[in-house]
Amino acid sequence: MTEASVIGAGTVISGHVRGQGSLEILGRVEGDVSVTGNVVIGSEGRVRGNVNGAELRIAGQVQGDLRGAIAVLLEAGARVVGDISAPRVGIAPGALARGHVQTDGEPAPAVARVPAAPARPVVPPPRIAPSPAMPPTAPKFEAKPVAVPAKVEAKAPPVPAKLEARAPLPPPPKLAPPKPEVRKPEPPRVAPAPPQAEFTPVRPLKPEPRRPPPPVVPVLSKGIKAKKKKSQD
Amino acid sequence: MAGTVIGEGLTIEGDISGDEEIVIHGNLRGRLTTTDAVTVGGTAVVGADITGASLSVAGQVTGDVTASERVDIQAGGRLVGDIKAARFTIADGASFKGNVDMEV
Repeated sequence: MTEASVIGAGTVISGHVRGQGSLEILGRVEGDVSVTGNVVIGSEGRVRGNVNGAELRIAGQVQGDLRGAIAVLLEAGARVVGDISAPRVGIAPGALARGHVQTDGEPAPAVARVPAAPARPVVPPPRIAPSPAMPPTAPKFEAKPVAVPAKVEAKAPPVPAKLEARAPLPPPPKLAPPKPEVRKPEPPRVAPAPPQAEFTPVRPLKPEPRRPPPPVVPVLSKGIKAKKKKSQD
Repeated sequence: MAGTVIGEGLTIEGDISGDEEIVIHGNLRGRLTTTDAVTVGGTAVVGADITGASLSVAGQVTGDVTASERVDIQAGGRLVGDIKAARFTIADGASFKGNVDMEV
């Protein structure tokens, strides 16, 4: 399966190369290269496009971004114009690199985070809800002792004490009621609206700019009066 | 000196051109042009017009073939497309559909 692929020195590929296994490029590739295994670009190899792989070992020329899940190593004579990102980045003396270099992102942890993250957030919401859920669940526990008095009496001495003690605890198991109550957090979102109303009073401050205009009015009034007097005469 | 080898599990979408031997065990969609021999392995799936000196098919090829020397379809090989070659053989157990033009 993991058969090594080689692009010979006399071969030109114009298009995308992707898949599983490792790849050795001794010729030219004009397009993106994305493989799960290692990529070796020989001293005569040229790639114009992005290169993705586990470990990239480059001695040739690349015009494009390099992303290595494990490492990107530029050997002497390498010439890279583009961004480089990998947990390990090595640039040997004699190699030329132009672009952004980032030694970040570990491949293994990224996979572990995916299952853990979704599971935890789901749990907290029901825990928050239980306290308001108390009233509906309480009557149900009262009904049970009435319906099955005989059984309760048999276990009477220990059970009643436990029921009282457990009474506050039971709500959590019943996840159904919490869901409607989870909606309550939404109203607080509506709350932000009032603060906006508070900001509106700030606008009344604008009357200040309105003050300058008044002086303009008297000026007009003077002219008007004078014209009126002349017209009256 | 082994030329170009496209391993199983590798997919190329685009054109391949060169002047050396090309061996394909993976997938190719596009066009393949070389001046040397072309070998399509048993696991290969090729959807491309092929031009070369010779062609040996053990896998699946869909496309027209032009060979300056010869075309051989091995047992288990499958070729759908027109063939233009001086010499052409179809092994027992191979499947082929298309026109053949053997230059006289």
